[in-house]
Amino acid sequence: MNAHQTQTRGAIRIDDVVKIYDPDGAAVMAVDHCTLDIEAGEICMIVGPSGCGKTTLLNAIAGFHEISSGRITLDGEVLCSTDKPKAEPGSDRIVVFQNGALFPWKTNIENVAFGPIMQGKLTKTEAVEKALGMMADAGLAGVEHNYPGEISSGMRRRVEIVRALMNDPKVLLLDEPYRALDSLTKSVMHEALLEIYYKNKVTIFFITHDLEEAIFLGHKVAIMTTRPCKPKKILSVDIPHPRDYSVLTSKRFRELMEETNEAVHEEALKAFKAGEKEG
Amino acid sequence: MSTNRFSARSAARGAVSIIVFLLLWELGSRSKQWIGADIFNPLRETLGALGFKKNYLPWVGAIPAPSEVLAAWAGVITDAGYWQSWYKSMFRVLAGFTAAMLIGIPFGLLLAVNRTAFGIGFPVFEVLRPIPPLAWVPASIIFWPTQEMSIAFVTFLGAFYTIVINVVGGAKSIDQRYFQAAQSMGSSKWDIFRRIILPGTLPSIMVGSAVGMGITWEVVVAAEMISGGGSQTGGTGGGGLGFFIWNSYVGGSYQQIVVGMISIGLAGFISSELLRALGQYVTPWLRLR
Amino acid sequence: MELVKKALTQEVMLDIFKRTMPFQVVSDAMLRRIAALGWQASHEQGAVLYDAGDKADDIYIIVSGKVEHALEPGVNARRPVQTLGPGDVFGWAALLERYPARLAKAVCVEPTEVIRINGDELLRLLESDPDAGDVVMSRFATMITRDYTVPDLIAQLRTIHRKLHSGDIQGMNLTLYRVSLWLKSPRPYLMLIGFALFLGFWYLAVEVWKLPRFREMPGITVVIREWISKDPTYGLSLYTEEYYQHIGMSIWRVTQAFVLATLVGVPFGLFLGWSRKFKEYLFPLFEMLRPIPILAWVPLAIVMFVSTESAVIYLTFLASFYATALNTMLGVESIEESYLRAASCLGASKWQVFRHVIVPGSLPFIFTGLQISVGVAWFSLVAAEMVSGQYGLGYVINTSYTMVRYPTIVIGMITLGAVGYVTSALVRIAGDYLMQWRVRELALGGH
Repeated sequence: MNAHQTQTRGAIRIDDVVKIYDPDGAAVMAVDHCTLDIEAGEICMIVGPSGCGKTTLLNAIAGFHEISSGRITLDGEVLCSTDKPKAEPGSDRIVVFQNGALFPWKTNIENVAFGPIMQGKLTKTEAVEKALGMMADAGLAGVEHNYPGEISSGMRRRVEIVRALMNDPKVLLLDEPYRALDSLTKSVMHEALLEIYYKNKVTIFFITHDLEEAIFLGHKVAIMTTRPCKPKKILSVDIPHPRDYSVLTSKRFRELMEETNEAVHEEALKAFKAGEKEG
Repeated sequence: MSTNRFSARSAARGAVSIIVFLLLWELGSRSKQWIGADIFNPLRETLGALGFKKNYLPWVGAIPAPSEVLAAWAGVITDAGYWQSWYKSMFRVLAGFTAAMLIGIPFGLLLAVNRTAFGIGFPVFEVLRPIPPLAWVPASIIFWPTQEMSIAFVTFLGAFYTIVINVVGGAKSIDQRYFQAAQSMGSSKWDIFRRIILPGTLPSIMVGSAVGMGITWEVVVAAEMISGGGSQTGGTGGGGLGFFIWNSYVGGSYQQIVVGMISIGLAGFISSELLRALGQYVTPWLRLR
Repeated sequence: MELVKKALTQEVMLDIFKRTMPFQVVSDAMLRRIAALGWQASHEQGAVLYDAGDKADDIYIIVSGKVEHALEPGVNARRPVQTLGPGDVFGWAALLERYPARLAKAVCVEPTEVIRINGDELLRLLESDPDAGDVVMSRFATMITRDYTVPDLIAQLRTIHRKLHSGDIQGMNLTLYRVSLWLKSPRPYLMLIGFALFLGFWYLAVEVWKLPRFREMPGITVVIREWISKDPTYGLSLYTEEYYQHIGMSIWRVTQAFVLATLVGVPFGLFLGWSRKFKEYLFPLFEMLRPIPILAWVPLAIVMFVSTESAVIYLTFLASFYATALNTMLGVESIEESYLRAASCLGASKWQVFRHVIVPGSLPFIFTGLQISVGVAWFSLVAAEMVSGQYGLGYVINTSYTMVRYPTIVIGMITLGAVGYVTSALVRIAGDYLMQWRVRELALGGH
């Protein structure tokens, strides 16, 4: 029933990963023997209080940070391990950043067509044509020749996602992308994301602190402990896809919220007491 | 993007460049001594073809070598006049700069806070600003009774513009919410000025001061060179490191020119560091990058 | 089939609008105006609201009941047949001017109450308020492209979008508009007061009251008279060729130095910011030489360079170089990490990152640096000209002093100010032209 079960690529395995920061000699453990399996084509939501280390995991998968020990594999291939602590950033796992990283000096269409042109996979004309189609698909027709600074932040997020999808990635890594949006725009963005997901087969690794967002979007929700982080509770969301906003008020949704709310709240309290700084 | 963590390796790299630089300088300035050798025939031909003199390297060949400069410096250190020049220049810089702050900060704050004052004062200020301070030297000499005061005025001008611009810019960029928060807590206008505007502009003032300090040194040095030595016995006017350099040039002692240049560079560096320390003291909440 | 025109209370309609997309994102004021266009109709079970191919006139919002909406096969719909209930909106074809035919068949499955809004009227209302209209239309676009892919429809949306914005003030009109706003504010008048005070004081202090120190200065009337006279006493005025020769000389020198400094300083700064190794090697040396004031170089420059002309240009170049290189480096270092990371995710090589991210990303800082560089260039040039050299505005000021031609000093100063301002403005304009994206961002009230 779940669409992703037909997918064969984009399976991530996080295997006993540890990350220790060492600022001025005081070792701080950010990730504590974290093991997590993400199936191919699955939407996996990572929920946890701010500063708990979930972004560290994302950065390790993307290749921006090193891990101290453990292993992360993508479709069986090792991304990083104890011997090779830093993965190579690549277009098979593309990140959509928290505050947006559309290049402000390029127009939207130039941004979207950027990846394939840089990699030499498409000529400029081909890339632009594909970009036009994908942007129209995502409801972004009409803003191709504007600059990112001229459109709303919700639209910017969508452009960034389309920019990522142009490269046919195996995984989309989303780092609290809707954090800065108002809740009205957010709910539209959620549906838009799902639309895009149904049309493009990708694994989605989505970090959020919003439990509702997590249960609404995800196949699997991993609730992380506060720093150092590891999965505290993993929830399988059995609400069938395709989903729309009516799911939010369904009985099953409320049940799932009740199951997990306490776990999340517990960790949030711990984080608050530990005085975690934002972000 | 780059966190400037101090590491032995990066210090070593920096040192390597400086040593290489000094070596090249030494070799180049002594080019008269080695360029005559046969190996360098093609080099000499190229120089000639380009229109330069053939018996020494252009530019660097004309200046004294680092070793000579060091020797000259050793000779000058014991001379009281040298240290007096130091004192005079530092004094002028700090005095002019302080004056610029004392007048510039209130003036800038007035412009930032009062719209009418801004409307009247800022356009005139902006029109006068592109005129380089040194262009004021003759006018300043005509106007002020003593040479010292005319130098002081020009020095003051140099830093004044930068400080005012930075104060105005800093005040404008204070987050509106601080004002709103203060007002909702019932602050009076004077309170808001003292507790929000003043501290809020301090960071910009500190940044502006760094630039202003550099300009002040430029102006002082130039003014000292232009307005001449004045009384040779080191009376109230004249003297200073700028004059020291000019005098060395006129007297044909090229090594001393370089001594003077390096001295000013050092003095400038010291005053900037003093300023930065002051800045840290006054605005501890800022961790300057 | 019975159509009953009932005046639904405004409040009830508003309430329904607020629960439906795309209306819920619009302000109350606009909603009231839309509500004023709507009217209610009742239909019995089995009533056919419209058939595919019918003329599309109204948009429908279901208040109560159920409607089966079957899209015709030509439309690539994700869900060709839908059952719509209270709060659902359909009949969007009515909003498209050249697409007046229905795309689907709508049949009431139960007794149904609907609100109908005429498409043409709604369009006109949206055009009258482009901002709100834009919001509605873009939400509408999202909904449409979500449900079906009809290229004509999308083209239609673009046309409407453009129509909504045809009234926007663009380019020249924007400038004129801003100028008119400026004239209406108190600012130009305060400015005049400021200048009047300044010039008035100058006039009074020197020529009327003859205050102690001011007596010696050249008065404003003297200066102006000299400046505009065809046969000036001291040889320089707007009418003398020599005046322009000096200006030209100074400008030529500044241009040479500035261009050289930019050609050397920008790449140097870019590398300093981009490569940590490069910076570790060369930055300490750079910072060691920088504190030496440019003017302290004057005697050494005269010794180094055979001609004074080269010496002057060298000095000016040095000043500009420091400013340009430093600001360029800061520009590169100011680029946010996420842009670089995004580029590497998207498969850009190091060189491509440099070309497409680092260079455009540092342009704002580079241009600030260039403006500073021009200012600094003039500063150094004047000093250098005053000390050594022939021709040039600095030379003019200095010799006017030594030859006791006081009014000419002031003429020189004013000319310097004007020329300096113009060159700085030229750099700024060049920057604005190259960084269209920033201009537009700032215009929209961005950071």
